[in-house]
Amino acid sequence: MIRRLGLAALASLVFAQVASAQTNLNVFVSPQQQPQLMRKAFDAYEAAHPGVKITIQSGGTTSELQAAYLNTVMSAKDSNLDIFLLDIVRPAQFAAANWTVPLNDQVGDAAALMKTYLPAYADADQVDGKLVALPAFADAMFLYYRKDLLEKYNVAVPKTWAEAAAAAKKIQEGEHNPDLQGVNFQGAPIEGTVCTFLLPYWSQGKNLVKDGALTWDKPAALKSFAVWKGMVDSGAAPRNSAEIITEQTRKDFQAGKSVFAVLWSYGWAQFQGPDSAVKDKVGVAVLPSVDGGQPVSCIGGWQWGVSAYSTHKKESIDLIRYMSSMDVSRQLAVEGSLMPVFPSLYQDPAVLKATPWFANALPVVTAAKSRPVTARYNEVSDIIRTSTNAVLAGSVGAEEAASQMEARLRRVLR
Amino acid sequence: MARSWRDPSEQALARVLLAPAFALLALIVVYPVGRLLLTSLYDDSLTSGHAARFVGLENFQLVWEDPSFWSALINTLLIVLFTVPGAMVAGMLLALVANMPFRRKWPVRLALLIPWALPLAFVGLIAGWFFQSDYGIVNDVLRPFVSQKIIWFNSPTLSFAAMCMAIVWKTSSFVAMILLAGLQTIPADVYEAARVDGASKWQQFWQVTLPLLRPSIVVAAIFRTITALQTFDIPATMTRGGPGDATSTLAMYIHQTTVDFLDIGYGSALAVVMFAISMVVSTIYLRNLRTGN
Repeated sequence: MIRRLGLAALASLVFAQVASAQTNLNVFVSPQQQPQLMRKAFDAYEAAHPGVKITIQSGGTTSELQAAYLNTVMSAKDSNLDIFLLDIVRPAQFAAANWTVPLNDQVGDAAALMKTYLPAYADADQVDGKLVALPAFADAMFLYYRKDLLEKYNVAVPKTWAEAAAAAKKIQEGEHNPDLQGVNFQGAPIEGTVCTFLLPYWSQGKNLVKDGALTWDKPAALKSFAVWKGMVDSGAAPRNSAEIITEQTRKDFQAGKSVFAVLWSYGWAQFQGPDSAVKDKVGVAVLPSVDGGQPVSCIGGWQWGVSAYSTHKKESIDLIRYMSSMDVSRQLAVEGSLMPVFPSLYQDPAVLKATPWFANALPVVTAAKSRPVTARYNEVSDIIRTSTNAVLAGSVGAEEAASQMEARLRRVLR
Repeated sequence: MARSWRDPSEQALARVLLAPAFALLALIVVYPVGRLLLTSLYDDSLTSGHAARFVGLENFQLVWEDPSFWSALINTLLIVLFTVPGAMVAGMLLALVANMPFRRKWPVRLALLIPWALPLAFVGLIAGWFFQSDYGIVNDVLRPFVSQKIIWFNSPTLSFAAMCMAIVWKTSSFVAMILLAGLQTIPADVYEAARVDGASKWQQFWQVTLPLLRPSIVVAAIFRTITALQTFDIPATMTRGGPGDATSTLAMYIHQTTVDFLDIGYGSALAVVMFAISMVVSTIYLRNLRTGN
């Protein structure tokens, strides 16, 4: 009896040892970033690393809500989160607040490693020489169009916004459907509207910020407002564009309510889904430019960072190196149509079999521009989106909005 | 009684008995407010890359010069101006209805409770869908009367009006409950006496109900005013402050400054200003209540 008890005690001691060797990693992945796909990759990692258990924490359906959540957790210096998936506009702020573990010494030659990724991510994830995060998957904005409608009216895929507006009007008139929207884009006071403003602005060859300093070009800003507001006023874009959030664009286009959609790459997989009214009727193209301008896209994408307050930094770094590897990038592309962060994967047979249009996406992603990289990005974003929203709603004139924007941006980006 | 209070042992006992309450109060009121006041004197921004530094009253100087603060403050005061009387009138009507001699009282009372029991953010989202120009029920109902769909959230005035309607809907049931409780304390014989004196229903309401209900009205008005000054959830979910910043409130600006912009010092200064405004308003009301009694 005593011996048996002793054995049981020994067994429980051994068990306790094993249990304490177990590392629990808490990873923040928002519900929009396909946590089920990440879970599959985590399962594979757990199988290969028996001592590691990964738990996904989720919350916040928009980038702003996620940022608000992470800001709260991180300002409280909470050690509960080990790893987080960050929108491309966040690493600079996280670096300034010292919320992430610098990865330079953990990845060997950081510069060489970052060269293997798309250039936009090398820029976004390295702040003042510090490697802050590693790329998870890429994203950019595209012009989705109704192949069937463009063919029916013998309209070419538009190269400029003026062509897009004309095509939209032609198809709307031909269809005799007052509810058919032309160009659906985001104008609500949300993060996506920052890109809305910047697309025609950049297309004129202008930058908003260069080397941390404001390079404001008022005529370019007015032109950008004119492109969007002109489409709203002419009916080529929905009259309620100032209400439209990213998911609304996706839903409207998916329901067959719009001819064109200005949207991120995630729309594609949904438009091909079983409950889509536009399955097999969708084309994807480079976004139009302003007249005489160059086509340009807004880069998005998500990054893995390790919390500075994590109690398992080493294990976390190992995990994010795996999650930012080529194998996982390929897997995410094949299974979730998430754009790869490695240029070579845009020619990968498995990837192209799943999402054929990625074959033409590499030049877009390579040339896509980054929203301003600054620690005070949230303020910059707020200025751009509220002004653009007010112009689209018609509550503030373009001239006044541009002046206010400049004055406010100058205060933030000194 | 008065003499025994002066007895030192009684005094000591009182202190001991009150100590836990004071400790609790210090922990949940004095410490956070004190900490807030202290933080408001620092330049403490997590995105600045430098450590917090003492700047005295500089943050308050910046608040004074900040156009976003003034526009948020004006919006907040307008919300108080429209939704407090709105909720008081609607709440009074609801309370009078609920106080009628129904055979079964609970269905009316339950109906009264529902808006109060719903979370604010939920009400904001629902109201946002109601007023959405394409799918919203409001435009559906208005369809026979207007030629073109009204885009509520394109217009600062209409956005503001829609938001105020949602706030009044949500908050009037709380007012109604306080007033209902007050109505039930008014003895029936007062009305009987009024009737004997030949007072009409209308006169009874103005001469009997309203004066006797005054303490309840003041209490409801205090609570409603303070919550109106703190308006956050409904505009945050319904209009996101738009179009532009036409429906952005002081509480939203504080939240944005601290949580989104991580400017803890400046956000604390804004919060101190809001705290001071709430204090002034409550003091005015309380004084009014006391002199009224």
